[in-house]
Amino acid sequence: MTVAPEKNTRKSERAERAARPGRPGRGRGVLVALGYFFIPLAVLVVLWQIATTVAPSPFFPPPVDIAENLVKLLFGGDAVFTEVFYNDFLATVGRMLAGYAIGAAWGIVVGTAMGLSQGSRETVTPIVEFLRSIPATATLPLFIILLGGGDDMRIIFIAYGVSWFVLINTASGVGSIHRTMLDLGKVFKISPARRLFSIVLPAASPKIFAGLRIASTAALLLAIVSEFILASNGIGFQLIQAQGRFQLLNMWSWMLALAILGLLINFVLDAVENRVLSWHKLSRQKI
Amino acid sequence: MTDSLPTTSAGAPTQGAAPTRPAGTAPGTPGAAVVVDHVSHTYGRGDTAHHAIHDLNFEVMPKECVSIVGPSGAGKTTLLRTLAGLLQPSEGAVWVNGKKNTGVPDGMAMVFQDYSRSLLPWLSVERNVAFPIAGSSLSKPERKALVDESLEAVGLKGFEKRYPWQLSGGMQQRVAIARALAYRPKLMLMDEPFASVDAQTREGLEDLVLSIRDRYDMTILFVTHDIDESVYLANRVLVLSRPPATLVEDIRVELAEPRDQITTREDPAFIHLRGHVARLIHSGGEPV
Ligand SMILES: Nc1ncnc2c1ncn2[C@@H]1O[C@H](COP(=O)(O)OP(=O)(O)O)[C@@H](O)[C@H]1O
Ligand SMILES: [Mg+2]
Repeated sequence: MTVAPEKNTRKSERAERAARPGRPGRGRGVLVALGYFFIPLAVLVVLWQIATTVAPSPFFPPPVDIAENLVKLLFGGDAVFTEVFYNDFLATVGRMLAGYAIGAAWGIVVGTAMGLSQGSRETVTPIVEFLRSIPATATLPLFIILLGGGDDMRIIFIAYGVSWFVLINTASGVGSIHRTMLDLGKVFKISPARRLFSIVLPAASPKIFAGLRIASTAALLLAIVSEFILASNGIGFQLIQAQGRFQLLNMWSWMLALAILGLLINFVLDAVENRVLSWHKLSRQKI
Repeated sequence: MTDSLPTTSAGAPTQGAAPTRPAGTAPGTPGAAVVVDHVSHTYGRGDTAHHAIHDLNFEVMPKECVSIVGPSGAGKTTLLRTLAGLLQPSEGAVWVNGKKNTGVPDGMAMVFQDYSRSLLPWLSVERNVAFPIAGSSLSKPERKALVDESLEAVGLKGFEKRYPWQLSGGMQQRVAIARALAYRPKLMLMDEPFASVDAQTREGLEDLVLSIRDRYDMTILFVTHDIDESVYLANRVLVLSRPPATLVEDIRVELAEPRDQITTREDPAFIHLRGHVARLIHSGGEPV
């Protein structure tokens, strides 16, 4: 009982140091990652700028113009933000977030139920496999007929499409929890609610998070697609408008807005994951 | 070597001792901590059915430390899971402290073989140990005292804030033992708890079990496939046969206390016992 601990103290100290945020080692890591991200991007933008200056084309406006136009679209006017910002940009973000939240909650609830009971997994899985193999975008006309062309339809459509990713991942995460971990809850007579929230969901959280990540991309995509038809506002609506009026600069600006939005969502998810799942990353590093 | 308890494989079934026992009361000796009464278990049915354990009968008195040995795949885990109430046996019943097991009995803790799966990696050592008692009616200082004392008993003071994955296998298993101790069980079940730690760590953990047995007055049932360990730790060794597992022999171990890793293992009585157990296991349940 005396030999092993000493050797391991050192190892665990190292792991602990790595666990503490804001240490030099980690700060440098972030800088390097940002470098890998921004340098190729900057090179691309510069090349594009040069190319479009040398050989102007109405289809490919220079990046500086695209960015300037986007700022003009969203900011300024009488207040800080333009009407377009509220009417279109925020409207899309709102629909996306609402649909994402509902779809994720539904996916986690149903996925957990499926993962916990082999019986329900066996009966529900064929249905799930069938439904989710219908491309979500293909169901939009049906949603419109059933629910009309309003915001609630769009939100439910997004929720529907998003829920599969969360559901499948949650079911697989919960279903693959090791029997010992579940026995632990039973042996120590942990209440069912605590078993769910303190054993099952944390144990499945790495998988659930993977699902939430894919789902976030899908949510943005579905929000835009849902605004292509029967919409009177939103980024998707603006894109279609710009296309109809041949306003290529606007189209590019909205695409830029979507790219920024996507990156922002990823950044937020990264931050949450780093906080919630740090144990998972660190425990894997050790192996 | 067969002892004189009425509950050996060859002995009369426990129920035979009290044929007119009133309904709802435990068979066997009054006051027994555990009574295993005609327990058989078969997994599955039809062609794929596996008869894992067959008509096991034995009892364990309070504060005994009983080890269960048998060949790998004999059904040791199956037996322990029925004792823990995690598995309803297909036939027979288990009684713990005079109550028939319908689920997990009160006052029982378990140390699993697979420490890396039984500790929650998102909780620190201290919160892992507190996990089973976190929902109890104890006050916060009382809980903290229990956790501190248990960690001290397993020699892990100062590691409260660590995470399981920052510890070696032996230390992780000690966390699992501390967690069981903090629960203050009357009955402790251990399923090959030291099978996956190195030999030196294993000796330390064996002595830890002996010391907590003396300190906390628990009944301990200990499953192992290691013959030396089964003799070294126990007051009694139950030897199981190849599947379907039956009880081959119930051996009383009377070695000098306190046990010592070196002198106990040199003791001719120890050597004789381990040889006897080994022969029983190798013969797979045939008389030797
Ligand atoms: N859930 C199960 N379903 C079917 N067979 C099982 C199950 N659990 C264990 N077994 C079988 O029962 C036998 C005894 O298993 P176990 O009790 O784990 O043995 P031991 O712990 O002695 O190695 C093994 O042959 C094993 O394959
Ligand atoms: Mg086993």
